[in-house]
Amino acid sequence: MAARCVLGYIWTSLSGFKCVASSSNMSAFQRKTRCPQLSVFGNIQSRGIRHIVEKKEGKTTIIEGTTEDTPSRPQPPNATAQCPIYRWNLQNKYNYTDVLLLSQFIRSDGGMLPRRVTGLCAQEHRKIAICVQMAHRAGLLPDHKPTLPEGHIPKKPKPQLNRYLTRWSIDSVKPIYRTGLKWCKNRISVGHPALRNNVQYGKKILYLKH
Amino acid sequence: MSSFTKSAQQWATFARSWYLIDARMQPPGKIATMCAIRLQGKHKPIYHALSDIGDHVVVMNTRHIAFSGNKWEQKIYSSHTQYPGGFKQVTATQLHLKDPKAIVKLAVYGMLPRNLSRRTMMQRLHLFPEDDLPEDILLNLTEELPQPREIPRRLNEYSQEEREAFPTLWTP
Repeated sequence: MAARCVLGYIWTSLSGFKCVASSSNMSAFQRKTRCPQLSVFGNIQSRGIRHIVEKKEGKTTIIEGTTEDTPSRPQPPNATAQCPIYRWNLQNKYNYTDVLLLSQFIRSDGGMLPRRVTGLCAQEHRKIAICVQMAHRAGLLPDHKPTLPEGHIPKKPKPQLNRYLTRWSIDSVKPIYRTGLKWCKNRISVGHPALRNNVQYGKKILYLKH
Repeated sequence: MSSFTKSAQQWATFARSWYLIDARMQPPGKIATMCAIRLQGKHKPIYHALSDIGDHVVVMNTRHIAFSGNKWEQKIYSSHTQYPGGFKQVTATQLHLKDPKAIVKLAVYGMLPRNLSRRTMMQRLHLFPEDDLPEDILLNLTEELPQPREIPRRLNEYSQEEREAFPTLWTP
């Protein structure tokens, strides 16, 4: 966080002269692309962890900055994109079962990391949040449960029922007492419409209403 | 097969087999379609509705079935006792807690043809809530059918090598 403040200060000091003249003429698009440094900050991959090493030889103290060698990580196929999902070309290809992908965007207690930290675009952030919710409800993330306060005794033991592709939260849903006739049936919703454009391998269509 | 004797071929064609299905983490509807096909005998080329060539089907782990969506809360099973004020509506959760075999039983019952042989076919369906089957049924089983739904793996079921092989999408 301190590094980002430093970078922001450097950017403003360098481009302060340019901004004064052209600030009034800039369009909305240019204002959005005004901060290249902050977005490039997430794209830099070869930046290793730096240490400050202090050595004392008699009366002289040597303060050295060393860069730790990080092992080279595989390059994404589309390195110039903004969103990490578009960088790896995973746009419509992930589901609630891809826990290895989803676990990179969640905290240890199961909550989502903010968009400004992960660098996801708005639509993909929403889709990942929906998939994480469905994965939690399916029980695929057992180690990411929120920590209960000490001495907390649950009043009623909840029935352990297996479920998957649950769109709504369990306590918020009411039973469908009158389902209606065949031509106007009150269908049960499965999955989520945000994942409607997912790639379907095989001839089966994705049914969102059962 | 052509190498069998005539009596062996006759026995192989008309014998009543016993199938086993594990319903753990499976949707009950898909389990029920597999059961209904085999109880009617529609998986055999010698099928005829009046021939009574259905097989026995044993379903185990019916307590651990998985519904998609919010069906545990939204799906309703209704019944009427024929007395006035005897209309009862129960959610899938309540029915499952009361009787773990009922959901699969009702699903299969609704998928069989609505004729007199439906009751005999239901007698050939054997449901067990857990995986402990009685010995006489275990001795009769011939084939286990593959599960319709692929069970997704939990995060702790992935090995450390698989987690390291998966690329990290973003750096903090």
